[in-house]
Amino acid sequence: MSKEAFDNLEKDLVQLIADITGRDPAELKPEVNFWKDLGIDSIKAIEITVAIERKYKISIRDEQIPKITTIGEAVKVVKQSLEKKDKS
Amino acid sequence: MGNRRVVITGIGPISSIGIGKDNLWQGILQEKPNIKLEKCVLDGELWDQFYVHKIDNFDISKFGIDKDKLEDIKAWKEGEEIVDLNYLIASIKLALDDSKLDYNKENNELGLVLGHENLGLMPFGFKVSDLAYEMLIGKQKSQFSKKDFFDKFYRKFLKSGYDVQTFADLFHVARVFNVHNYSLFINNACASGLYALETASQMIESNQVKAVSVAASDHPDIYKYLWFKELGIYSSDGMIKPFCKDSNGLVFGDGGVAIVLEDLEFAQKRKAQIYAEYLGGGFDLEGWKITVPQIGSHSYQDAIQKAFKQAEINKDEVDFLCPHGVGSQPIDYYESKAITDIFGVYPMRYENLSHGEQPHEIENLSHGASPKRPLISTFKPYVGHNLGASALLETAILLLSLKNNLVPATLNYKNPDSKFNISLVKEKTKVKLKTAMKICCAFAGFNAAAIFKKI
Repeated sequence: MSKEAFDNLEKDLVQLIADITGRDPAELKPEVNFWKDLGIDSIKAIEITVAIERKYKISIRDEQIPKITTIGEAVKVVKQSLEKKDKS
Repeated sequence: MGNRRVVITGIGPISSIGIGKDNLWQGILQEKPNIKLEKCVLDGELWDQFYVHKIDNFDISKFGIDKDKLEDIKAWKEGEEIVDLNYLIASIKLALDDSKLDYNKENNELGLVLGHENLGLMPFGFKVSDLAYEMLIGKQKSQFSKKDFFDKFYRKFLKSGYDVQTFADLFHVARVFNVHNYSLFINNACASGLYALETASQMIESNQVKAVSVAASDHPDIYKYLWFKELGIYSSDGMIKPFCKDSNGLVFGDGGVAIVLEDLEFAQKRKAQIYAEYLGGGFDLEGWKITVPQIGSHSYQDAIQKAFKQAEINKDEVDFLCPHGVGSQPIDYYESKAITDIFGVYPMRYENLSHGEQPHEIENLSHGASPKRPLISTFKPYVGHNLGASALLETAILLLSLKNNLVPATLNYKNPDSKFNISLVKEKTKVKLKTAMKICCAFAGFNAAAIFKKI
């Protein structure tokens, strides 16, 4: 992944989540909670996970999925996975 | 299908609502599950508690099984009774008795396929934890309670514990029933039973054997409960509510089951009763995650379509469909999507399908709608989630439903969720049934479907 793409990751990821949830990207601040603020359920959480994995060609572990509760945490998990992938 | 036709001639269930096919069927008709609160207490301290569909009185010595062989197994297990192994043996005995196959001679025609998620793992885990506590902590109890130790120790231990091998249990069970033909042990999680049926059918079609006893069992304990609780899919109120707005997870079911498959000609020659023909199964391994289905994938639909191809029937011929129905929102959603993709969205009027006298009677299955869709009902609210044996136990109930021309109601189906786009049978319904389908979406993405038809 290029440095530019990496720097734009947060914006791209927010857009992806906005597309799935039908929310305005401007609403999706790092501290926004998927469950409490966006009313996302376990079904939608899996749909978002599938979309993230496809877009970034990463794999998120089963047990991580329910622990990703905010937009900021989602960005962090994706960044970490991409960094790990680049190193391997 | 191959040249040989495969039929079911014996059913032997061990469940929380009845042991043996007649008692199980009575339990289904009575619609009264036997759910108990299981408490795990260590040194007087409550570790955790969970609801389970419980078998109250089970005694392996009451099944007329060779006592010497049972003693040999017990001795091998260092005096310990392995409950799920005993369920396997007892269910096979019931199924073989039901089929009236003669297995007593040494060179019988019987093969064996067992499905299970590791027999004896639960007591093994408890024993290891107990021993480790006594050795490492016992003298310093004031610093570390047994409950805290177990809680931490099991998490470190659990994954490697699943590497327990099962060939020795296959040996023990085969020995009890004089099985010297082709035999194997399989583990495809909750779908094990359907994989086992297909494997057994192939054994018969390839003329390895004339008959196969397919058996599976599970005796879930606190270790499995803690894992499912962590995953957030264990019901806190002890009720499985499939495809409902208020579904909050599964409840374990204690038990096991065996089903005898035979070559049709062989069965006819010995004038065996025939429940139904096994027309074929379809299987697809999604391969995304172990514990989460990939919503949006087509794997489950593919498994169902493959079953139609193998069975050489089309979807309109299915009268009765029994899904996995675990009562977990994402799994129910994944499953309902596959059902509606194949059979179409169920109109809301189907919700009122079975209102009326008990049991409700309907003339035919079209219900004035076109195309015809199968009636749907699930059995986990009756017998709990029997994990590795669940698909096979529910297949046994499905076969009894076919035989009795009665679709049991889905218990606890009080608040159907319209997002699932399907309607389940709310009250037991008398209707002429010919073809039934069992489907299962298991952990690790083992998606499976099997089709049965009365002949």
